[in-house]
Amino acid sequence: MKSWLLNHVLIHPKRLIILNSLLTILFAWGLKWLVVDDNFMNMLPKDIESRRVWQEVETEFGSSEMMFIAFGNSGKSIYHPESFKMAWDLTELIEQSPYVHEVISIPTMNRMDSEDGFMEVDDLQPKRILSTEGIQDIKIYLDKNPAIKSRVIGKSGDFMSMAVRPMNNQVDLFTNHILSITDSLLTDYEVHYAGNSYITGVVPKIIKKDVSSLMAIGLIIMVIMLLANLRNISAVAMVLLIIIMSMVSMLGSMGWIFHLTGIEYFHFSMMNTSMPIVLLTIANSDGVHFITRFFREVRKKGDVREAVSTSLNALFLPIFLTSFTTAVAFMTLVSSPIKHMMGYGIAIAFGILWAWILSVTILPSLIILKKWNLKSPALSRSSYLEKWTERLGQKILMVPKRVLSFGLLLVFFVSFGLWKVSVEVNVIKFFKPGNPIRDSSEFIDRELSGSMSLLFKATGDMKDPNVLNDMLLIQEKAESFPQSNTSISIADIIKTMHKVVMDDDPKYETIPETRGKVNNLFTMYSMSGDPDDFNSLVDYDYETGLITSLLNSISTNESVEMVTELESFIEKSVTANLQIKISGMIVFLRDFVDMVIRSSFISIGLSILIIFIITWIFFGSFRWGLLSVIPLASAIILNFGLMGHFEVHLSHMTALLTSIIIGVGVDFAIHYIAEFRRNARRGYSIEELSVKTTEDVGYPILLDVASNMGFAALLFSALIPLNYMGGLMVFAMISTSLGTLTLLATIVEIFKKHLYNS
Amino acid sequence: MKITKLILISILFQSLFALSGIELASLVDDRESPEDMKSTMSMVLTNKNGKVRTSEIRSYSTDGNKKQILWFLAPADDKGVAYLKIEHEDKSDDMKLWLPNFKKIRRISSRKKSESFMGSDMSYEDMTSRNLSEYTYSITGSEIFDDNDCHILESIPNGIKSEYSRHISWITKDTYLLLKEESFDKNGALLKNKLIVYQKIKAYNIMEKLHVKNIQRNHQTVLKFDNIEVDSGIKDNIFHEKNLKRMPK
Repeated sequence: MKSWLLNHVLIHPKRLIILNSLLTILFAWGLKWLVVDDNFMNMLPKDIESRRVWQEVETEFGSSEMMFIAFGNSGKSIYHPESFKMAWDLTELIEQSPYVHEVISIPTMNRMDSEDGFMEVDDLQPKRILSTEGIQDIKIYLDKNPAIKSRVIGKSGDFMSMAVRPMNNQVDLFTNHILSITDSLLTDYEVHYAGNSYITGVVPKIIKKDVSSLMAIGLIIMVIMLLANLRNISAVAMVLLIIIMSMVSMLGSMGWIFHLTGIEYFHFSMMNTSMPIVLLTIANSDGVHFITRFFREVRKKGDVREAVSTSLNALFLPIFLTSFTTAVAFMTLVSSPIKHMMGYGIAIAFGILWAWILSVTILPSLIILKKWNLKSPALSRSSYLEKWTERLGQKILMVPKRVLSFGLLLVFFVSFGLWKVSVEVNVIKFFKPGNPIRDSSEFIDRELSGSMSLLFKATGDMKDPNVLNDMLLIQEKAESFPQSNTSISIADIIKTMHKVVMDDDPKYETIPETRGKVNNLFTMYSMSGDPDDFNSLVDYDYETGLITSLLNSISTNESVEMVTELESFIEKSVTANLQIKISGMIVFLRDFVDMVIRSSFISIGLSILIIFIITWIFFGSFRWGLLSVIPLASAIILNFGLMGHFEVHLSHMTALLTSIIIGVGVDFAIHYIAEFRRNARRGYSIEELSVKTTEDVGYPILLDVASNMGFAALLFSALIPLNYMGGLMVFAMISTSLGTLTLLATIVEIFKKHLYNS
Repeated sequence: MKITKLILISILFQSLFALSGIELASLVDDRESPEDMKSTMSMVLTNKNGKVRTSEIRSYSTDGNKKQILWFLAPADDKGVAYLKIEHEDKSDDMKLWLPNFKKIRRISSRKKSESFMGSDMSYEDMTSRNLSEYTYSITGSEIFDDNDCHILESIPNGIKSEYSRHISWITKDTYLLLKEESFDKNGALLKNKLIVYQKIKAYNIMEKLHVKNIQRNHQTVLKFDNIEVDSGIKDNIFHEKNLKRMPK
């Protein structure tokens, strides 16, 4: 196959270019069916227990993840006719949105009053324009009911809040629509937003915006680095062409597969954000290796055709192997419990293989067709990086045991950090302090009843006083946490109604002692209030209730501790008549990330094993197979170990990026091994083998690393996971390249006699 | 030429003697009704998930339902609960509820006329007869509905607080009975659909079955009336709170 390809490259380069371009256009045609899915909820698996409970809760009681809107002017009382008029207008407009299920605000709330044995249910705000007396009446009622007040009026009395419940699974459209309404109405007020439905609605757009702008900066830096080292515009353009062609083909393939199969896992979601970065790195690596090899050969031989022929001969196997192993490693994602990863794995594997084909067909064909000036500095002299790499290689190989010992010790000590790796999935913690979104959310935590919720699905007879008292016990426990502001359940309503029936006597603000009395209270309410008022608290059959605990925005670790303590309390203190399941977005995300991490680790382990087997088969040696995975394995240990030591949290975004390490880590090692074996076959002596190999592959490896340093631009993103993404890119590049040029190179140097003979 | 003249005369004749919207509404309002009525009412509520709640209630009423007393017979949880309502022209309605487990009578009130009555799909507004002067009526056409030739009457609330923007009613041309009604919310979207079946008792057409569906909530209520007695001479003193505690034999 190699000779067939070489023949076509040298004799029919135009034919190869046309054929591959047509195929690329065909693949890219699929872009018209590529669906960009911004809905964060769609990428989350539906078969996790906590998601199932959460789904059951949302089906019965409506979406649990609210968007909170607070408006007002600091230091100016909100008890003003204009503010109430605004709340009325805002509520009316938001209620008309097709993405809104319910608005909980002063104009939609009921009040329950009791006077002389008279129970009355009425609107809290009966009309749009209120008199001073009307506002005073509302203020008095809210002051008497602090739990209700904390949900609608800020602690300082200068902000009014409303909670908007979205229709299920429409968060992105929902958030956009609400923001368009508030932007047009609340022009004279300071506005704060919070809540998971808001954050999950806006974050994908921020990520997309940040990734595209910062990636563009990264690409510009990549071009500058390549230009500085290759010193030839055409060569850089050729590398970029391979990257662009493979990128559009990969994205097009997702469109094609979705068009032909209808499988939604091939939508481009937030989870796929890292795909272009991973492919860009891998495609760049293929191109850089080929171009630098060609330059080196043409410098030696002075003939373009001969240089292309030698380069292709030397790199055909390593580029194939690096692409094949990386593609297979990504294909292992097919077995991931997260189904969206299947689309990710297949599409990126396709992109990698297509980048390989383009690197060995179009790239050499273009080189053949281009008229090169052999006397130009690019082709006649080594670059600074090339010279520096050669010197570095020589120095490392002078003291191989010392370098190896240092490397192994480093990996050993860093590996202790693996046990300290922590997870953070609270999206608000993705923003740095001082960011307007984080500040806004913290304002609502500080001034109102909090922006997060924990849900307790309570199954039992909701008219049984024991069950209701147990629910109150759970609420009391939940409220004892400092992060908790308030909680609400049907038991609270029963307590209030009991007090109202007993002539507003506070000593009766309790659960009545008999089931019959509880039932009488429900019947009484059905005569005077709307039964829909209880829809978010108890089901139609009074068999399932919902306790909602409103919390400040807490970290994942805090939520794990809180849920664990609550679960153990429930187990000890709640009677058998009541079954409680804790859920909500925060609990679900905790389980989901656990799954992502497990899936990533399984995928990494499986990838290492597969890569080892493939290289063992292709190199025909167990030892070489084992050596090929050493830099990759040590880079992974270093990555996660350092994350643990430096408290860099894993999230659903960063956990996926470990694939970059697999993508680039194995490439460098294979190039090194293939070159070492090739040099051995070419008759280099055992003494000069390692130095020669480092000279040959060290430069392309470090140029590859240098050109990808532009992604450090992501470190300047407002979003912490994007900082991690940038940091991880830089770290993966440095750790895997150094792993190859130090650990692998020194092991090879130390055991060269055994390896040479094998 | 003669034919054209005949058609023109016929149109003129029809327009002179055609019923107006307000006239039709008055005819419906003036329909003969019993002095009093006793019935056993079964109310079946079905929610969007198909879950059902059934109640059985004994009802006494006079004065076109302006005075009404209800005793809950089923379900077992509600047995013994009783409700008394007396409507007043000049002041808020009196509503009292007997809570047997508390052994207390409690006055209740809902200022919100749009609130549902007893968890059903009927609001207090639906239960109250419409004051003719508070609506603008127009006949928009005629249609055969359920083998009955009907006028289609549109009623638009006129300066009153209502949960509706308009109603479209199918009214029989011969007996002025309301067979079907569609009610629209303030945004003009269909909110409720009512279907009514009558039975003839003595000289009256008495409601036998009422099916109300709230389209937006996907919730429905079916009311069936059995053991109906009309003009049985219910005394006024029955509508007293002492009778809430025990249903008269």
